[in-house]
Parts: sequence; structure tokens; C-alpha cells
Amino acid sequence: MAQNQAGQSDAGWKQPRMPRWLSIVVMGCNPKATLARVAVLIVTCFIVFKFILLPIRVEGISMLPTYKDRSVNFVNRLAYVWHEPQRGDVVSIRLAGPHVMYLKRIIGLPGETVAFVDGRVLINGEVLDEPYEKTPCDWNCPPVKLGPDEYFVVGDNRTMPSDNHVFGKAGRDRIVGKALL
Amino acid sequence: MKIIIRIVLLAALAALGIWLWTVLFPSPEKVIRRRLTELARTVSSSANESDLTRLAVARSVAGFFAADVELNVDLPELGQRTMDHVEITQLALMGRSRAGGLQVKFPDINITVAPDKQSAMADLTVEANISGEHDSVVREMKFTLRKTDGQWLITRIETVRTLT
Repeated sequence: MAQNQAGQSDAGWKQPRMPRWLSIVVMGCNPKATLARVAVLIVTCFIVFKFILLPIRVEGISMLPTYKDRSVNFVNRLAYVWHEPQRGDVVSIRLAGPHVMYLKRIIGLPGETVAFVDGRVLINGEVLDEPYEKTPCDWNCPPVKLGPDEYFVVGDNRTMPSDNHVFGKAGRDRIVGKALL
Repeated sequence: MKIIIRIVLLAALAALGIWLWTVLFPSPEKVIRRRLTELARTVSSSANESDLTRLAVARSVAGFFAADVELNVDLPELGQRTMDHVEITQLALMGRSRAGGLQVKFPDINITVAPDKQSAMADLTVEANISGEHDSVVREMKFTLRKTDGQWLITRIETVRTLT
């Protein structure tokens, strides 16, 4: 006869049962259906968060005040399946892969010429209206002509010196998706 | 039933064989990936390191590189130049003593091995966290590696300008 660790006989030993109310709360009325739902949920979450909505954590202050340091967001990878990126979109730019990306705003579209004059953005010589810019800046950058597949991206925080800010031309193939929130 | 069991056993045996093969004879990509991860771990340092440890680690960092390494990086003190093992050791030593603590990671590594399997290119993201500093330093870099005496050694490092 099997003996448990305490040396007591298993005969007459009753398996402790979960109270019915607790079992209903945990597993539902139909445990098989609940398990199936959990499995479907896990697979759906895996597909969604791996291939469609990439969860990201913003690090750094280059997108202030739009995105605060350490805030959480998602990158919609399907945003540009049916149309090309637009001016004003906040996009993620990949480096060597998708684990570390830049989060920047598109201000220049393919074929345009972008320049900074006394903090104002000039697109083909005309001042760009930027409602998301809350603070004045004094950036000056010579005109940059964008190629057919190039976008000009920059962060929203222009109060920091331009030397400390990563911005410039990004190829279309580097744009992973659009920030969701 | 017996046939099914035999098929399952055969499939398990085949899987085990394939796994053993990959463990005993890893692909160049796998070897390079492991080596680069090891380099990142070696370069990383803690704040309270003794001088002796620092020197030993700096010397082992040089072991990841070929005798002459071509550098083309966007760091003011380095820029475009060629370095030998002594200079790499000095540089590693200087870096370790200057940064109180340093954590280096290569979160994304894309490896392309040449058809002759004697050279390879690794496009990777370097993420460095210097203790005491809030933001991490992120760069995209391209490493060129060459197989020398059975070891993959770095022959060239260049910064890739993600945004031009």
C-alpha cells in the first residue's frame, strides 16, 4: 500500500476539494470551454503583440511634451499597409532590429526640402504649422532634400540643443509603424 | 499501434540527432552571435572593480579583435583609424576606468555570412547604460568579422547612421 511522507496510509485519505463557488470563479461552469478560451486568448495576444501592436516603453526626453519619459505605448505595424506615412505622424524607426527603436515625428515627406530657420521648420521654403510644438526653439539647419523613399523625422522636444537630438532623414524601410496612443 | 509508436520514436530520435548536430557543429551565425554576446558581457563592468580585474578584462576584450582593426565610428576621440591589440587594451582600460559602471547589450544582431564562410558582417544595435546617467546610449553599428585560426575576429567597426 502506498505510504505518504508522514507515513500514514493513503486509505481513507480524501483529496481536498475546491469549494464549488471558488471552482466556478476560477474555471467557470464549463472548465473545458474556459481552458479553450484561455488558449485562444494566449494565442491571440501572442499574435497581436508580436506582429501587429508592438508594446514599447519610451525612454528619453526627445518626444516631450507629447510622450513622457518611461511612458508606455504601442506601435501599430499595420498602419502603413494601405497608405504611406503622413506628415505629423509619430512613427517608430528601427535601428538594427525592433528591440530598440527611435520614436519621432514625420515633418518632411519624400521629395520635399526641409530646413530649420530660427527654430521654425521650412518645407520647400514655407513655414510648417506645428500645433504640437509648445515651446520656442532656436534651431538652424541647412536645407535637406529628401529622396523618393525618404522622410524627415524629428522629436517634439526642440528645447534641447540640436546637437543632443537625433533627427534627420529616415528611409521608408526603417519605419516600423505608427505610435498608437 | 506499434507502427505509431515506432514512428514517434523515430521522429524523436531524428529530432535528437538534429539537435545534437546543431550543438556539436553550430552554424557560423550561431557562433558569431554567441561571440558578440560574450563581447558585450566582457565589455560591461561594475563600478567597484579592482585595477587588476580591469586590466585582465581589458586584455580579454582585445582577444575579440584581429591584429589590426579598422574603426570608423562617430566618437570624437576615435573617429577613423586603425588600432592594434595594445591600443584596444588601452582603450578598453580607459573606458572601464572612466565609466563607473557600464552595461553593454546588443539587443538586435543581424548576421550575414559570406558564401566562403570565412568572413561575415554583423549589423547590430549597441545599447550602453552608464551608471549614474539617466539615458542609455544607443547606436547602430556594423561589425566585419573574419575567421582566423577557427575563431571569428572583428576586423572592422563602423557606425551606421540610422538617421542621415
